Amino acid sequence: MSTDEPSSSTEHHGHEHHEVEGPGYPTPAAMRTESEREKTAFVMAPRVGMQNDGHDLVGVVDVDPDSETYSEIIDTVEMPNKGDELHHFGWNACSSSCHAEGLARQYLVVPGQRSSRIHVIDAEDPRNPEMVKVIEPEEVFEHDLSAPHTVHCVPGGKIVISMLGDAEGELPGGFLQLDQDDFSIDGHWEADRGAMEMNYDYWYQPRHDVLISSEWAAPNTYYPGFDLDDVEAGKYGDSIHVWEWEDREHVQTLEFGEQGHIPLEVRMSHNPEETQGYVGAALSSNVIRFWEADDGSWDWEVVIDEDAREHEDWDMPVPPLITDLLLSLDDQYLFFANWLHGDVRMYDVSDSANPRLVDQVWAGGLFGDRQSIQGEPIRGSPQMLQLSRDGKRLYWTTSLFSSWDNQFFPDIAEEGSLMLKADVYPDEGRMELDEEFLVDFGDAPGGPARAHEIRWPGGDCTSDVWR
Amino acid sequence: MDSDADSFAVELVWADGRSETLTVAPDEVILDVAAASDVALPYGCRFGACATCTGKVVHGSVSHVKPPRGLKESALDEGYALLCVATPTTDCRVRVGHEIQAAVVGTPWK
Repeated sequence: MSTDEPSSSTEHHGHEHHEVEGPGYPTPAAMRTESEREKTAFVMAPRVGMQNDGHDLVGVVDVDPDSETYSEIIDTVEMPNKGDELHHFGWNACSSSCHAEGLARQYLVVPGQRSSRIHVIDAEDPRNPEMVKVIEPEEVFEHDLSAPHTVHCVPGGKIVISMLGDAEGELPGGFLQLDQDDFSIDGHWEADRGAMEMNYDYWYQPRHDVLISSEWAAPNTYYPGFDLDDVEAGKYGDSIHVWEWEDREHVQTLEFGEQGHIPLEVRMSHNPEETQGYVGAALSSNVIRFWEADDGSWDWEVVIDEDAREHEDWDMPVPPLITDLLLSLDDQYLFFANWLHGDVRMYDVSDSANPRLVDQVWAGGLFGDRQSIQGEPIRGSPQMLQLSRDGKRLYWTTSLFSSWDNQFFPDIAEEGSLMLKADVYPDEGRMELDEEFLVDFGDAPGGPARAHEIRWPGGDCTSDVWR
Repeated sequence: MDSDADSFAVELVWADGRSETLTVAPDEVILDVAAASDVALPYGCRFGACATCTGKVVHGSVSHVKPPRGLKESALDEGYALLCVATPTTDCRVRVGHEIQAAVVGTPWK
């Protein structure tokens, strides 16, 4: 199935023995080997907190090297309001609904992190996406939730969005459920929130009846910027939460303490037989592995422990700040970004409890030797990652969050952030920065923008879940 | 500009020296009046949580119509205000721009 052409619409379904039915792939290996190379990318491009502020946009980036517009922003969808802070986004349907009749991976659900407004974009034509629905913040606040973050489609015709705050921007958060048919709000996904107060990212494994969620902080804590006093006051997260998927109940808290301050992105193995995953503790700069023990409870340990580093301009040692991580579709490699230090790391996780560092690319940040590419200063540092389905190209953007950017990499507010790429050689366990590839969101139509999460038409290793 | 005894003059001042003066009625918040006057100010949540719209009141005073949850007591004491939920109580002058928010929280830079 081509993944960059308009997606096969429902009329193609119903052939009794059609090779690929529904919106996804039957296995992670099928997605890795049978999908085509990515030709375009959807990139969140917020303008909140920019010097010349404007409306946020979804950018379409040409990533086809045979195209005349390679590495350019070829289309944009501008948000109808200002101040959304587009951040993470997801599909109406993915491989978790692989054999669902009449369902297509067609719509992007695009929340505003600050506004709590939720946009639905028809991406049937990946080069010309169109806004089709806007859920206004007031409709979200009615459910005493705010600050939408991670979007996953889930089996049963639903979409579940992690919500970080209540209607006042305070704790607790929760999960908002939408209907896949008309994107109306059903209400809370969770039946029993238990001990969970903070929320951030989540992943789920329906085969094992589990959802794992992580913690950032209350919106009114992290929205205004990063303040160490808030960490000392216990206002930032240090735990992940285990939920029973079917019953939608919180069942266990894994508290990391000092070893796991600000656990952000959660990535479980793509292989649906596996019962383990990784979470990046941003501030502690540890990668923590979690797994289901023999008795059915979940356990954890730090498997990668990075050190803070002295910098002559800083009052304190600089933590690497692991802000994003991902697993290749074959679950062989773990990549993560050290947003303050300035490097992307590649680990062999074929022995899942014993990750082995195999390569590292430096670009920007506080310690990167390479501070420019094609003559353009690298504003920011490796942050939001996306890997090609075949595992051979790693792309990333350099903005984290408007208020945090403005503290740590203030140039982004004036000139925008960048999208970069490394070529990955999985058979050799190495990667290399591709100096020919640069997308400068400083040149975005309508003025400079930040750049955040990246997705491919057709799905990717940070969106799709297998049952 | 029509003078209205119940309204206040709010002078917005940017770092580059540019300034704009708005007339803000008692039931209005500064950000809404700016938006209606095509004066671009940074903002996000519009309910006092995110502090993207932080300004610094350097003359006069404002009050908040909703709790300014995105600012700590110390910042409020220093005159910072959230313009999405702030209404003037006197004529005032407010420093604005995207960089004010980062100044409130500070950075670990020496």
